Amino acid sequence: MHEPILELTGLRKSFGALVATDDVSLTLRPGEIHALIGPNGAGKSTLIRQITGEIRPDQGSIRFEGQVIDGLDAAARARLGLARSFQVSSVIPDFTVLQNVMLAVAGASGNAFGLLRPALSDHRLTEPAAFHIEQAGLSGRAGVKAAELAHGERRKLEIAMALALRPRAFLLDEPMAGMGLEGGRQLTAILSDLRTEAPILLVEHDMDAVFALADRISVLVYGRIIATGTVDEIRANPEVRRSYLGEAA
Amino acid sequence: MRRDMTINLVIFGLLVATAIGAHLMGEGFTVTLATKAAIFGLAGVGLNLALGYGGLVSFGHAAFFGIGGYVTGIFASHAASGQPILTLPFTLAGSNEMLGIWPMAMVAAGLAALVIGALSLRTTGVYFIMVTLAFAQMLFYFAISWPRYGGEDGLSFYVRNTFPGLNTFDPIQYFAICATLLGLALLFTAVVTQSRFGLALQAARQNSQRTVAVGIRPYGIRLTAFVLSGMIVGLAGALYADLNRFVSPAMLSWHMSGEIMVFVILGGVGRLCGPVAGAAIFILLEHLLGGVSDYWQALLGLLLLAIVLFAPGGLIGIVTGSRRHA
Ligand SMILES: Nc1ncnc2c1ncn2[C@@H]1O[C@H](COP(=O)(O)OP(=O)(O)O)[C@@H](O)[C@H]1O
Ligand SMILES: [Mg+2]
Repeated sequence: MHEPILELTGLRKSFGALVATDDVSLTLRPGEIHALIGPNGAGKSTLIRQITGEIRPDQGSIRFEGQVIDGLDAAARARLGLARSFQVSSVIPDFTVLQNVMLAVAGASGNAFGLLRPALSDHRLTEPAAFHIEQAGLSGRAGVKAAELAHGERRKLEIAMALALRPRAFLLDEPMAGMGLEGGRQLTAILSDLRTEAPILLVEHDMDAVFALADRISVLVYGRIIATGTVDEIRANPEVRRSYLGEAA
Repeated sequence: MRRDMTINLVIFGLLVATAIGAHLMGEGFTVTLATKAAIFGLAGVGLNLALGYGGLVSFGHAAFFGIGGYVTGIFASHAASGQPILTLPFTLAGSNEMLGIWPMAMVAAGLAALVIGALSLRTTGVYFIMVTLAFAQMLFYFAISWPRYGGEDGLSFYVRNTFPGLNTFDPIQYFAICATLLGLALLFTAVVTQSRFGLALQAARQNSQRTVAVGIRPYGIRLTAFVLSGMIVGLAGALYADLNRFVSPAMLSWHMSGEIMVFVILGGVGRLCGPVAGAAIFILLEHLLGGVSDYWQALLGLLLLAIVLFAPGGLIGIVTGSRRHA
């Protein structure tokens, strides 16, 4: 059995009286896509934000590649290779695609303090950036301002930025949201390739994509994981059908 | 991009041409006005690094302007009196060498910016504005109540400090010094904002959540920008003190902070030469309208309001027809 890359143990987080994360334990193993599904408001994004370090859990612990990362801030976790995309795409609007990805390359290198050398002629930034732009399916769009990208392209830009972090794990929060049929299909193919770079914790509503991509699925309802298993196990699970798939179907 | 560069050269060129033209026509006063524009422009360029590129709306940059001014005044007055400034922990003698005074002014302003920035950058938005204002006001009241260097009355030094090979009393030569430093500050800003650091600074302004998510901590980046910004403004303060051969608490007052901010907003936030254009227009208006009516500041206020509402890119934005570029 492989050591998991990412291991959450007994995470708990409440906002006032609302328990958004209720004793969640979960692992992400090398090479897998682990999908996290559940109705709106179940606490999926809140869980992702605890893993990235944007918010602190009240209880519980997170190990990443064998190291307890509870004490690290979000920037430090990103530099370890925890790469995330946001549910509402989040890029630097006035930067070009190239500049956005260069920013991520600079962040991953741990050196964002070079004051004098022009970034655009720094091959250590531009070359990896160009490579990841291509990898994410954005070839030819490097010079376009992020604010002018179509929705689906912005999603791909987030993937390119995640790739530039030299990721050891991806945390993708609803990457397909609002992509449309064709865009969704394209992105499914891209995500399927991403798995070879690093395992993916995939929050997704699009069940076709989840069933096509996932090795394992966890179902989150009211902050609790009610089931974890393979695609077939989850499809067959009566509790899941009742509390989640039933609604969706 | 190319168009922006042309505009930057035109603005800087106009300032220099005005000074040279005035000099040739024997209009010493106009040369001095152009010198003031260069110095205020320099202060604006300094603030622009924090405000324009970093999104750090500091309402306390008079602190750095005043510190630069007081360092100059204190060195010059001690050079005149022959008394050392300090005897403990080491002996520090006065000086009237600009080349010696400028680094001191910049270091003092930079240290103040480090302290003020380290504390105020823990807040954002309106709180940041208020905290920076509060620090500058503290220094203002300190200067007023410190009789040793003139207190409320300020501190005069009768001889302008010296620069090797130049006669700093000749208006055009002093202009040349100020314009050269302004040019260097513009060059520095152009280089820094295109660097990795500049990328991170501008990213943190636009989307700090995303900047953190790629492993960059905005705090250190912003603090660095704030210190560099304070140092440039401190240098401007030193030049301003030498222009007037006088420093007073007014250099530290919130009016001064506001004026520096006006240069930036008038010319175009986050535009390289915006603050230079802003300072030049400000001085021109003050000169043309200040004599006609005491209410010229009200007119300035209207102009500012119009710019903020209808042309957020400032005067440079109006010319280039774009809001801002990264
Ligand atoms: N910062 C917050 N403060 C208060 N409540 C929050 C906060 N963030 C999320 N919540 C609440 O926690 C619950 C889970 O939200 P979220 O994690 O966004 O769900 P999901 O991503 O599964 O749709 C929701 O009820 C939401 O309103
Ligand atoms: Mg969500």
